[in-house]
Amino acid sequence: MTQETQSALTPEVQAMIGVSGEVVEAWGDVNEEYLRRFTQALMDPDPRYWDEEFAKSTPYGEIITPPIMVSYMATRIRPDQEDPITRAFLEDPESDGIGRVERPGALPPVPTNLVRVLNAGNELEIYKYPSIGDKLFFQNRYSDIRERVGREGQPFLIITTETTFTNEKKEVLCITRASTIRR
Amino acid sequence: MSISLEELLKLPEEEILTHNERLTGEQLRNKKQTFFEDVHEGMELPKYIYHPTPTHLFRWSAAIENFHRIHYDLDFGLNHDKNPALLVHGSWKQSVAPQYLKDWTLPKGWPWKASFEHRAMLVPGDILIMWGRITGLQEKGGMGLVDLDLGMTTQDGIESMPGTATVVLPLKDGPDIPYPFVPPRD
Repeated sequence: MTQETQSALTPEVQAMIGVSGEVVEAWGDVNEEYLRRFTQALMDPDPRYWDEEFAKSTPYGEIITPPIMVSYMATRIRPDQEDPITRAFLEDPESDGIGRVERPGALPPVPTNLVRVLNAGNELEIYKYPSIGDKLFFQNRYSDIRERVGREGQPFLIITTETTFTNEKKEVLCITRASTIRR
Repeated sequence: MSISLEELLKLPEEEILTHNERLTGEQLRNKKQTFFEDVHEGMELPKYIYHPTPTHLFRWSAAIENFHRIHYDLDFGLNHDKNPALLVHGSWKQSVAPQYLKDWTLPKGWPWKASFEHRAMLVPGDILIMWGRITGLQEKGGMGLVDLDLGMTTQDGIESMPGTATVVLPLKDGPDIPYPFVPPRD
């Protein structure tokens, strides 16, 4: 990095590392209808997802659900909140459908003027398959923010958000880490 | 024996599709255990082959309530974001990966952890090959830890999701893998 190029990893940005959101209870519960739609869209025909008698004979002893399914269930738009899609298009008729759609549990934004967001990668640790009827809880945390320098000498950030998913018994279901590039 | 990824990519597209090894519901129900002693470094896992259409993309968007227009609004994707077509979801790819690991480790193993990057834009009509290859083996705490390289490669050999994983296979004379899963201690 040249002396003229300012670091994107400012003290204000560094201060965001370790910042956690609140533990959020996701709306609804893990249910068979969401499971059916999810596994059909995933194209996973595993009878462990729908054949209760067979599922009882497996090491899990019950119907299971895909571990990563909870990450999508958790961010569903609650029925008691303002319709964020309608609002997004009122604010910007050219909305991409996602950029201004607020989701529950979001962390405060990282204070940077780097606005272009690219998906850099994901990590997943799996500990327990969610059960039908589970209530879901999740907590986001900025687990890492690093600076890199692009080919043209411009700094960019890699921001990693860790999310821990638990059930009502405080059992950890899975931990995800999503890294985004901010240019 | 699964065809190697290298050999698969030499085949014409229509022939690649015939090598799909995704398991049916009945095959998953009756799957025999692969034990730690059955595998070796360099061994390739079965290939899961997909041929997504715009309807598959729409179904995924609806299932997970992902409203990003690049996945279902072709006019927006072409003219606003300047994409070449509708784009296959990264979220779908990252959901296939744990499914793939689950299937391979069933009925008593465990798909412990995975990490991957997202590269390349995948579009309807692409042939997508989910693959895995064993890179390391370690017996620890009565469990068989298997390190893997994995990815989702197009018919043209473009790797869209390079990654790694560690899964657990039971030992033939070993204890059951604990559920909920408890990683072996260092």
